Amino acid sequence: MIPTSYYLALSAVLFAIGVTGVLTRRNAIIVFMSVELMLNSANLTFVAFARQFMDLSGQVFVFFVMVVAAAEVAVGLALIVAIFRSKQSISLDELNQLKG
Amino acid sequence: MTIELVLFFLLAVVAIGAAVGMLLSKNAVHSALFLVLNFATVAFFFLFLGAPFIAMVQVTVYAGAIMVLFLFVIMLLGAEQLRQPSTVLPWQPPLTVFLAVVFVGAAWLYFANAGPGSLAAPPPFATAEAAGAFGSPQAVGQTLFQTYVLPFEITSFLLLIGMIGAVVLTRDDKKR
Amino acid sequence: MTIEPFAPVHLLAVLPEILLVVLAGVLITADLALPAARKRELGLYAAVGFGLVLGVTLLVTLPTVSGGLIFGGMLRHDLIAFAFRVLFLFAGVVTALIAVDSPTIGKEGEFFLVLTAAVLGMNLMAAAADLIMLYVAIEMTSIGLYALAGFLRENDKSAESGLKYFLFGAFTSSLMLYGFSLLYGFTGQTNLYNLAAALTGLPLEASLLALLLVLVGFGFKVSMVPFHFWAPDVYEGAPTPVTAFLSVASKAAGFAVLIRFLLAAFPGIESIWTTLIAVIAALTMTIGNVIALTQKNIKRLLAYSSIAQAGYMLMGLAALSANGVSAILYYLGMYTLTNLVAFGVIVLVGRVTGSDEIADYAGLSRRSPGLALALLVAFLSLGGIPPLAGFFGKFYLFTSVMQSGLVWLAIVGLVNAIISLYYYLIVLKVVYLGTPKDEAAVYPVPRPYQLALWACALGVIFVGAVIGPWVNIAAAAAGGLF
Repeated sequence: MIPTSYYLALSAVLFAIGVTGVLTRRNAIIVFMSVELMLNSANLTFVAFARQFMDLSGQVFVFFVMVVAAAEVAVGLALIVAIFRSKQSISLDELNQLKG
Repeated sequence: MTIELVLFFLLAVVAIGAAVGMLLSKNAVHSALFLVLNFATVAFFFLFLGAPFIAMVQVTVYAGAIMVLFLFVIMLLGAEQLRQPSTVLPWQPPLTVFLAVVFVGAAWLYFANAGPGSLAAPPPFATAEAAGAFGSPQAVGQTLFQTYVLPFEITSFLLLIGMIGAVVLTRDDKKR
Repeated sequence: MTIEPFAPVHLLAVLPEILLVVLAGVLITADLALPAARKRELGLYAAVGFGLVLGVTLLVTLPTVSGGLIFGGMLRHDLIAFAFRVLFLFAGVVTALIAVDSPTIGKEGEFFLVLTAAVLGMNLMAAAADLIMLYVAIEMTSIGLYALAGFLRENDKSAESGLKYFLFGAFTSSLMLYGFSLLYGFTGQTNLYNLAAALTGLPLEASLLALLLVLVGFGFKVSMVPFHFWAPDVYEGAPTPVTAFLSVASKAAGFAVLIRFLLAAFPGIESIWTTLIAVIAALTMTIGNVIALTQKNIKRLLAYSSIAQAGYMLMGLAALSANGVSAILYYLGMYTLTNLVAFGVIVLVGRVTGSDEIADYAGLSRRSPGLALALLVAFLSLGGIPPLAGFFGKFYLFTSVMQSGLVWLAIVGLVNAIISLYYYLIVLKVVYLGTPKDEAAVYPVPRPYQLALWACALGVIFVGAVIGPWVNIAAAAAGGLF
């Protein structure tokens, strides 16, 4: 049997990689993919704990997270396409219309 | 070292490698494909953890629909090659990676040693039948439609809004 | 807390939400059926719809007993959820009214549909008692708001603000989700009211880690420091009715969740999080007010002002008392009315002059005394001048904080209130004493507008002058949480 803590460590690693991606990459799509990676690592945590507690709420939560992620991806990619149409670029460095 | 442990470490290496590959790749299509690989390995982990239904949903929805949508948009925008030079300050990536490593190290130490409850091996199933029933579509469905019926109904509306939002944001106004 | 088995009367408790879904259906059908010439009526339908749902909420769903977990423990049917619902529906009415004659978004049925979805999500956020319900409700609201912020896809600023809001929001909500997963993992519970009992036996670091991650997500919604960076850009770029809605309803929803979550799930580490929130409140107030001093664009000014207002309200949370929560509720009510008036004026002036720079508001009092008066009421209330509602709101917050012993925080708040007066008065000076660039400019105020602005402005004055009933309602609602 694999200890639950191994799964938790793995999900922590994936989560950290996702956070690194969001904070360091400048391409909007890659940033969004890193967010998906973070969501996935949270899913892995949920399922691992669901197994630990023999409680299906964790798996149901993962189900909902996937549904929400699908809707979020639709709207998010639509926003990225809209930006691209006006600026011909999706680099975050070029989003400078709004300045303080 | 049981066969399970070997398999776990192998798949873990593939998952982490795919994630890092997604992060470092210069080509957006390669990044997306690495992420698909990562999702597929996570689906395997779901199988190990007694969640066959969720594993199938992961492959169908995440790897199958969401990543395909990503690839569509990447191809649509022609964003495979990342042209622009980055304005990230030179000390930012190493600092982020360092913080990430610190976080993971702390998390590992915490979970492995002082973690709450007993995070040793999860309790084994009583019978083979119970092992098959846990995480099966029937069991998940029962929990979903009994306790969690309200969020379930709300997600139907959420999907409608996601769809309408996507259509409105990409609609071509010149045709109206 | 026990979960009540399903009884048909529980459906009455979610009647507002059911009616909102019906309203969404009506709006879609009307959008398809109405000819282009009559499209502006869609906004009126939406406003009337929200008004009807508000009426039904007030008449039918007032909870008789405080507390009570329904629908399998997903929602808690108590006074605080009721109070927030009323707030969100009212904000929806006013937003729909000020969006009606907008040349860019007033004719789009989808705008009002997504607005309905956002209000629905917020209603559920305020009532949610389970991690799963909370997550679904938060995401529903957020996804609706991302689409609303980026709605003017042709407009560079709007699209950019939508994308920035989206990336920031998705990032913080995935951090929050990881926090939820740790909470579930440490306790095996998804119901908020069972978490507290399960967390007591665990080491401190466990609760603290989960708290910090969860606070990131909620902090984003209330725009507290250091998660406030999105606010100025998004407020400036989004269509102004959307900014109005965001600044009022989204912030209130964030506070609803923050209050309920922290009080229900983390009583064990109260001493730690009250100090943390107190420090964050002080930072938020100060940063918001200080940066507002330098702003030339009125929407950005109001964005930083909103950040500072969030700081004041966080003080009430740090006070950790029924009085503190009651003060937050009263302040949110005042803030809703006030900000809606301010943004209502900005929408109109923006439509006529095409600009959101403060300099272009010069001499507004001569060109349109009514609008200038509305702005005067709004800004004086935000600054905290008696007898307007903002004065008593701040007073209530300060006294509740001092009663809990955090005198230093009250002093910081007082200093901040004085600093904020400066920038509010500067705008008023430009409005009343400046010379207008274009003496002949006319500011037509359409009927729905007049209704909305009058209602809110009178509300600000009334809520400030006759404080008794409002304070009682707020206190009763807050009492249900303790």
